[in-house]
Amino acid sequence: MSDRVEASVLEISELTKRFGGVTAVNRCSLALAPGRIYGLIGPNGSGKTTLFDCITGLIVRDGGTVRFRGRRIDGLPPHRVAALGVGRTFQVIRVFPELTALENLLVVSRRDRDGALRRARELLAFVRLDELAAEYAGNLSYGQQKLLEFVRVLMLGPTVVLLDEPAAGVNRTLLNELLAAIRRLRDEGRTILIVEHDMKVVMGLCEHVFVLDYGEKIAEGPPEEIQRDERVIEAYFGR
Amino acid sequence: MNVVITPAMVGQVVVSGLLAGALYSMVALGLALIFGVMRVINVAHGTLLTMGAYTTFWWFRLLGVNPYLSLLVSMPVMFVVGIGLQRAMVRRVVNAPELSSLLLTFGISIALVNGLQLAFTSDLRTVEFLTGAFVVGGVALSKSRLVAFGFALVITLGAYWFLQATRFGKAIRATSQSPMVAMVCGVNVERVHLYTFGIASALAAAGGSLVAIMFAIQPEMGQVYTFKSFLVIVLGGAGNYPGALLGGMLLGLIEQLSSLFLTTQLSEAVAYVLLVLVLLVRPTGLLGGRAT
Repeated sequence: MSDRVEASVLEISELTKRFGGVTAVNRCSLALAPGRIYGLIGPNGSGKTTLFDCITGLIVRDGGTVRFRGRRIDGLPPHRVAALGVGRTFQVIRVFPELTALENLLVVSRRDRDGALRRARELLAFVRLDELAAEYAGNLSYGQQKLLEFVRVLMLGPTVVLLDEPAAGVNRTLLNELLAAIRRLRDEGRTILIVEHDMKVVMGLCEHVFVLDYGEKIAEGPPEEIQRDERVIEAYFGR
Repeated sequence: MNVVITPAMVGQVVVSGLLAGALYSMVALGLALIFGVMRVINVAHGTLLTMGAYTTFWWFRLLGVNPYLSLLVSMPVMFVVGIGLQRAMVRRVVNAPELSSLLLTFGISIALVNGLQLAFTSDLRTVEFLTGAFVVGGVALSKSRLVAFGFALVITLGAYWFLQATRFGKAIRATSQSPMVAMVCGVNVERVHLYTFGIASALAAAGGSLVAIMFAIQPEMGQVYTFKSFLVIVLGGAGNYPGALLGGMLLGLIEQLSSLFLTTQLSEAVAYVLLVLVLLVRPTGLLGGRAT
């Protein structure tokens, strides 16, 4: 057991969140090893985003624990979780519309303050937004905002990256860029957890998939196994 | 009523309007910051200004030193008072319905005004320091208003520079656009709230110090400034920080312009009528408000 804790960079155990009478997340346990890409799937309302919110501290869980590198992070305020190295994007794009693209990145708090500007410029160049650095984020196209939000997470120098539907509303070219970028993050040793509805993306990208239904984890395993799993098919297509 | 309007009168109106406007902008920027970051309408803002005014009055009365130097005291002191208010009370209502924060800051305002009345009585107090005016081409420039304009301009531009150029300024702007996203970017939003209230109180205090050198002060003087600041941010667009600058200048000009045509009592009412009109016709502010 102890070396399993050692091996997991993020370990969620028996996590529960209730909203009034509805149990949005019910005793969920997930363990993420470093340097891998994980998928989190499930029908609408199955608790995927709520799980992200609990991990990042935006909402306070009712039960269970979240450990990051062996250390409890449940109960920490969101900015502390972020500063430790857990970054996330949102299902609906959330850039700061009235900050410039560059400022959007500079808002992120980092340990090395002096390197922030250089890193921000590098990241903008990485997603080819360097010429739009001084443009207000609200004036960027949908795809550009999506990329901006993505690299904003990278400003944290995150160990764990939580991506909420990165492929939604994204065209082919942009999607391929994003997927390549995500793989590169993995190669750098970061751990990625992706909520995604596009099964092609999930199957092509993820090494291990968790399936939620009504807030409970009903299955997990390699994508090809998950595709054949009775309970998963049932959850998606009805009984 | 027949009025002959000479070019000198128009010049006078514009100059006086801009001189008064810079001060309105500075004070209103404080109110705009608190509203933008926390969605709290701070009804006690004018009272914080009054406290700045009394700081200057007592500084001059007791020490007899140049009252403009008292800004070096009133601003830091009120910065700390503001942080104290936020920490002890206002933070409890940040995410509560707007009525809660309105009632709380109203209560704070009443308590502070009564405290000032008990401590210093309701007597009108004056700082007799810089009197008289320069006359340039038929336009009279009151010395104390001119200096107040200079201070207000420098402090306001300094505050904009801080918001624009510094890390913490960016955190303040980010928080006012989306607190949740700021949090996941590692911004300590509670800390942003704390210092925002401090900065806003210091801006109000600077206004108070400058007002004390121009006009007689008394404990209830602040209400007018709360109201005018509110009008300024409505004119400029709530949550739109550069809008406060424009709104302040505009209010100064409108007040002076209406005094050309109307009696003093009526011209005081113009600002109130304007507030109602703007809220009816253009509730997001003349600049169009927030893009989000």
